[in-house]
Amino acid sequence: MSHLLAVRGLVVQAPARGLKIIDGIDLSLDRGETLGLVGESGCGKSMTCYAIAGALPRGIARTGGSITLQDDADGGTGSPAKPSVAMIFQDPTSSLNPVHTIGHYLESALYRHQGLRGNDARLEAMRLLERVGIDRAKSRLRAYPHQFSGGMNQRVMIAHALAAKPRLLIADEPTTALDVTTQAQILYLLEELRAETGMALLIVSHDLGVIARLADRAAVMYCGKIVETAPIGALLERPAHPYARALIDCMPTIDPDDLEPPTPIAGSVPLLDNLPAGCHFHPRCDRGGRDCVSAYPAPARIGPGHAASCYHPVRP
Amino acid sequence: MNPPLLQARGLQKTFRLRSGPLARSVDHVAVDAIDLDLAPRERIGIVGESGSGKSTLGRLLLGLTPPSAGEVRFDGVAHADRRPGDWKAFRRQTSLVQQNPLSALNPQMTIGQQVAEAVWVHRLADRHGARDQAAAMLEKVGLSAELMDRFPHQMSGGQRQRVVIARALVLSPRLVVFDEAVSALDVSVQAQVVAILRSLWQQLDLAYVFITHDLRIVRHLVDRIAVLYLGRVVETGDIRSVYARPRHPYTRALLSSVPSLDPRVRNVAPPVQGDLDPGKAARGCAFRSRCPLAIERCASETPRLRRIDQGHVACHRAEDVRPLPMATAEVA
Repeated sequence: MSHLLAVRGLVVQAPARGLKIIDGIDLSLDRGETLGLVGESGCGKSMTCYAIAGALPRGIARTGGSITLQDDADGGTGSPAKPSVAMIFQDPTSSLNPVHTIGHYLESALYRHQGLRGNDARLEAMRLLERVGIDRAKSRLRAYPHQFSGGMNQRVMIAHALAAKPRLLIADEPTTALDVTTQAQILYLLEELRAETGMALLIVSHDLGVIARLADRAAVMYCGKIVETAPIGALLERPAHPYARALIDCMPTIDPDDLEPPTPIAGSVPLLDNLPAGCHFHPRCDRGGRDCVSAYPAPARIGPGHAASCYHPVRP
Repeated sequence: MNPPLLQARGLQKTFRLRSGPLARSVDHVAVDAIDLDLAPRERIGIVGESGSGKSTLGRLLLGLTPPSAGEVRFDGVAHADRRPGDWKAFRRQTSLVQQNPLSALNPQMTIGQQVAEAVWVHRLADRHGARDQAAAMLEKVGLSAELMDRFPHQMSGGQRQRVVIARALVLSPRLVVFDEAVSALDVSVQAQVVAILRSLWQQLDLAYVFITHDLRIVRHLVDRIAVLYLGRVVETGDIRSVYARPRHPYTRALLSSVPSLDPRVRNVAPPVQGDLDPGKAARGCAFRSRCPLAIERCASETPRLRRIDQGHVACHRAEDVRPLPMATAEVA
């Protein structure tokens, strides 16, 4: 069976400046699977999402590679329809239009995606709001986004995404702007909905804790390339790429016995117009050799489903 | 014991809210009866969800907004007794670092000018000397003097936050209030800023008030913690003992909401439902609507801070709060 989502050699560029924002990445996602995408700001995580959702900003274009979405799971109805993709974002309150009610927002999505209108749309909107954990749904349909907290607006965004009956939900830093208690609620809701609907989930975060809670597999991005991909347990316990290990080491924990403060990663993410030759991470890496400067390392197999692009991978 | 550098007694701040021109106004208590002592060089963390009143508390402590009741003393002098000239001296000894470094910096001034500005505003040096002091301070936060002539937009988020920290510390203040100073940064940059703040504290005569909702970061920066819920301190104590054994159900919920790096801990039901609910009646415990341990007494009698072990907790059922399970025991 083919993958639900297959990305092959994706290249995304800002043609006016010739910069490669995403430089030939491969990703795949199966039905009902959760893939985590992790890396620092400016590594191309969000652009990967926009490219998959077909929503790249103006002035930025896909110039190479392929993105194939295919769902043959609902067999029997003839030719498989292109599966729908929905996306939620970091800042829910600014993603919502302040002059429309929550009801208008959801009902217009239900009309667009399911052809529902009038009372049918209203009832379905109420059901969606209740499903994402907003009580008193009937009166809440008349509310405006500013009357809701950030967590409630993120729930509204999720309800809106569900209106499209997505086979793939892309969540780009969905809890970064939220309190830790709300974050736990939203992550739990996403996992419940994934299990219930069988959709696949692509979750993007700079916080490995968020990824660890939801993802089956994770891909680590650096400077527009995927440097390591692995089952989540293998990545957290046996990271092979020095960048993946550095990301783990800079995560603070709440373990009272862990007294050491998090270890910062030396330096910062290089600018796209000034990428180091060879492996882009080598100036910040403590394991670099002479070969690191010569050419970009090809992905090498580390274990089952586990590959890393590094000449000197970390050995456990 | 040292006399406190900063002391707050019965601090309260009420905002009058009106939902429309004809609506009746409602009093919203943002900060309610807070007592706080901070010794020189002490570091305290103030944690809570958005809306818990932690930023308002920070502003009250620095005298940026007047309290509705209670008082704040710095070095034994109450804010209310300060005359305009005294305020200038007070400002030199205190500083505030806020969340968004891009909006805290002036886009039309170079980094060097912005860090040096406070020095010559307070007439502590001429412009040339101020620039030298700024360069030295930037060096301390890990920014080379070559960056002095850059503008904020030419820097990364982490560099900008370090500029804001350098600017806050250039006058050698004795107290710095950090209001969500690292929350908007990437984890890798957070770790850098944490390392800088720890080393600055070791070098300088500084006390920190660290306001944040991030329980992972604050742990490495403070000695003591106060947990705020709807304007009240519900638990306070030494950071290690609170994390090892939270005594308030809300503290426990905050700590167990933090995602762990253990991939076996998955699909854990959220420890608390809902948001802060400021509409709750004044009597009783404000957390009771979300509390798994709430009993009738929680609605009838407001819990007061009382001593348990080394810390203080405002909960009738503190003795019944279970210890946090080790990560592995949480696996379903």
